[in-house]
Amino acid sequence: MTKLNRRTFGKLVLGAGVAAPFHFTRTAIAQPKPGDELVVGIWGGAQERIVRAMIEPQLVDKYGCTVSYVLGGTGERRARAYAERGRPSFDIVYLNIYESRQAVTDGVTQAPTDAVPNYEHLYDAAKIGGYGVAFNPCTLVYKGEKASAPITSWEDLFNEEWAGRLAAPSLPGMQGMAALLMLAKTYGGDEFNVDVGFEKLAALKPFAAIQTSAESAWQMFEQDIADITVEFGSLAQRAKESTNPEIVIADPTEGMCAAMNFACITTGAPNQVLAEEWINLHLSPEVMQEYMRETYYSPTVRNAEIPEELAGKIMTPEQVDNLVAFDWEHIASQQAAWTSRFTREIAG
Amino acid sequence: MNLSRNVGRSLAAPVTLWLLAAFAMPLGVVMLLSLHEYSDIFGPLLRPPSLEQFRLVLGDRFYLGILFETLLLAGGVTLVSVLLGYPLALWLVSVPTRWRSLAFMVILIPLLTNVVVRSLGIVLLLSPDGILNSILGFVGIGPFRNMLYNHFAVMVALAQVFMPFVVLALYDVLQGTNPRVKEAAESLGASPSMVFWTVRFPMALPGLRAGIIIVFLMASTAYVSATILGGGRVLTSGLLVYREAIVNLNFPTAAALTLVMTVASLAFSALVILVFKYLMPWMNTARNSGRPNATLPAIPAPLMRAQEILGPVIYWILLMAAIGLLLMPLYLVVVQSFNDVPQASSARFRGFTTKWYEIVLTNGNYTDAFLNSVKLAVSATVIALALSIPAAFALSRFRFPGLTMLAVFWALPLSLPGVAIGVGMLKLLSIFIILPPFLGLLAVHVVLVIPFCISLLVASVQQLDRSQEEAAASLGANGVVRFFRIILPGLAPGLAAASIMAFLSSFGEVTVTGFLTTARMTTLPVRIYADASFMLEPTVHAVSALTMVITLVALAVLNKIFRVDRLYAR
Repeated sequence: MTKLNRRTFGKLVLGAGVAAPFHFTRTAIAQPKPGDELVVGIWGGAQERIVRAMIEPQLVDKYGCTVSYVLGGTGERRARAYAERGRPSFDIVYLNIYESRQAVTDGVTQAPTDAVPNYEHLYDAAKIGGYGVAFNPCTLVYKGEKASAPITSWEDLFNEEWAGRLAAPSLPGMQGMAALLMLAKTYGGDEFNVDVGFEKLAALKPFAAIQTSAESAWQMFEQDIADITVEFGSLAQRAKESTNPEIVIADPTEGMCAAMNFACITTGAPNQVLAEEWINLHLSPEVMQEYMRETYYSPTVRNAEIPEELAGKIMTPEQVDNLVAFDWEHIASQQAAWTSRFTREIAG
Repeated sequence: MNLSRNVGRSLAAPVTLWLLAAFAMPLGVVMLLSLHEYSDIFGPLLRPPSLEQFRLVLGDRFYLGILFETLLLAGGVTLVSVLLGYPLALWLVSVPTRWRSLAFMVILIPLLTNVVVRSLGIVLLLSPDGILNSILGFVGIGPFRNMLYNHFAVMVALAQVFMPFVVLALYDVLQGTNPRVKEAAESLGASPSMVFWTVRFPMALPGLRAGIIIVFLMASTAYVSATILGGGRVLTSGLLVYREAIVNLNFPTAAALTLVMTVASLAFSALVILVFKYLMPWMNTARNSGRPNATLPAIPAPLMRAQEILGPVIYWILLMAAIGLLLMPLYLVVVQSFNDVPQASSARFRGFTTKWYEIVLTNGNYTDAFLNSVKLAVSATVIALALSIPAAFALSRFRFPGLTMLAVFWALPLSLPGVAIGVGMLKLLSIFIILPPFLGLLAVHVVLVIPFCISLLVASVQQLDRSQEEAAASLGANGVVRFFRIILPGLAPGLAAASIMAFLSSFGEVTVTGFLTTARMTTLPVRIYADASFMLEPTVHAVSALTMVITLVALAVLNKIFRVDRLYAR
């Protein structure tokens, strides 16, 4: 009940045009006490390791609380959060860019506020639909030795040397979405006019294969099945340094597609304060830098410096400003239709 | 007759009650969802019924095409599994008993390996520079560059993991065939081929039937291998259900697709049962109505002669292919778990390291998840067996109205994609108070493994020698004594096969568990899946390797303590 009042109150104040910081306007909410359990839904692997090592101990030391993790893919986590709207078992769910904005619209998660002090350092794009925690753009990734000249534009996909060598990224999936949107944009369309994107994708057929994850793409590179694809720059950098040294990550003049990971507090989260504090810690320069080192994710806050050894591998503020942004809420509403169209017209 | 009916009914009751409590509800939710006119994820579950979703699915050539393709794929997988699994089962019963636990281990390797790792193994097998091309190149054939990312690759991958189910289903009935029958045939001058086709094959038909149905139903709902090895080109209805339900949050269409698919695969199962009934006129399960002197149609003499020459060759080729396919993951897992690369999907060996084992063993999360999985799988197996034994007797020894319907109901969990059960559970969770996590998972896991147990145990019960029971009864043994002294020992190999199958299916289950897992109750496959959701590291190989070692040790220890060879042979 208190939360509803707080929200209504907050809206009233905002409606009156009082631009006071959020934490002045909200009523007192329950402070954490020892034994409280913060439940975080996040991906496994390096992501889990970083938050366990760098965020959890600080929170536990300060409040005597415990932190539990529900690990898994975004889809299952989102389905669960939707099923539990209003009485969530999670406090925080990590989502991708379009899911997070849709979730706020659907009342499943909260819009970001400056109750999280590091909110003020966030790039504007990272302040919609939760708290952006990592820029992770998608771009063209290819084998350098197979290219007659470095790729500088999305148009280069149509060069003779790549004919039949594309591991097409698939929809559903961020990489497929990026390919569709960037092709649309390059050839005069946008997210409201994706027909041209579909036409261009179809014109790239026959594909060498269709990749359904970064792993499958690297495997196709390694097995000499494909030479070029659309992937996350961060994952490509990691593959380049370990298994696929021939990889080149393109920086096309039309830009890269801005994908992002978000931390979202569920509506009605049982541990609001702990959740805000968790996210604040996630947005701290130290955690951001650990993410840069471990995953090549680019920071979403302006005050996190890029370590020298990572220069050129992490996006600078200028590059972030050049990222191509789309209306993700519109995209989310079209996702099912586009997926179906992709399956029928492109993948078949 | 009335008494017998009541006994039959009470034997059928426990499993039916369990399924009603733990499975009928999510199934009911799925049915209700399929009647929603449009998707409204926050709307009430009860809405004015509409057939719109079915109109959508059945009126769309695309959906129908995929349904058909899925059934065809499942049929192909079943065929390959039987072709490879049959020689394997014959080999398994011929292995000396003391080596049998090792032989079992070979068959169980794919089931002990995480699905993602298994699929990687198939990539290595079929890729342009892969193992198969190297072997074929050695004898001057190939190379074939297009074996990956198509229906063939998916079929190989699914056959690899489902073949063991055929083997286990056949194992018990082949094992149970009295060796004297074989000797009798030989003494009458039958060649090995003749013995196989006129004695062993017909007598093992109940096992084959169980194997075919299990494999077909599982293959028709599979989607992880289709995703990894289909390269986006192979669409199955399981994959479509997953997309509609999880990516698009469109539960009604997912539910309608599920139900259409379930009806289609159950129709196939009914067809299989009918065909086998025709093939086994002597086994008409109703009491005494079978014709004991009926046989399979005779095989034409020229075909038989060809059989005698080619039979052994084909047997060895198929057996080698089957064992090779089974051992693939072993090679991959062992080599890759020591590979010093951060990505599990890379096939190139870049240096020796033990760090993946260190992470798995020192990071308590894997150990916790492993223990959770073992606890869950053991409990699910024990409960499922306790429920399935009476059910198997009800099915094979009693007739009462409604029994066939019950049998279909018992098999349903196998024919419903896990995602659909998960969605039904999710909807229920949003309505009811959350169950204690372990009990919730246990209830569902028991549901998921019951169909395996029943279908295997039915074949075993049919093999029991009833004259032994009658002899015991005439010597004054009561029902309880007969059950523990005669029936249970007779069922031992079947029970062993059923518990192995139940344990491993529960141990490896991820689709439904993924929805129900909570912060305090994560299973090992869910953990691996979670790791893969970001990036698959070689820890997954280390986990699989350790699971295999632990299983091998467990089988060996069991062998020492309980004389497991008595489980392997009657």
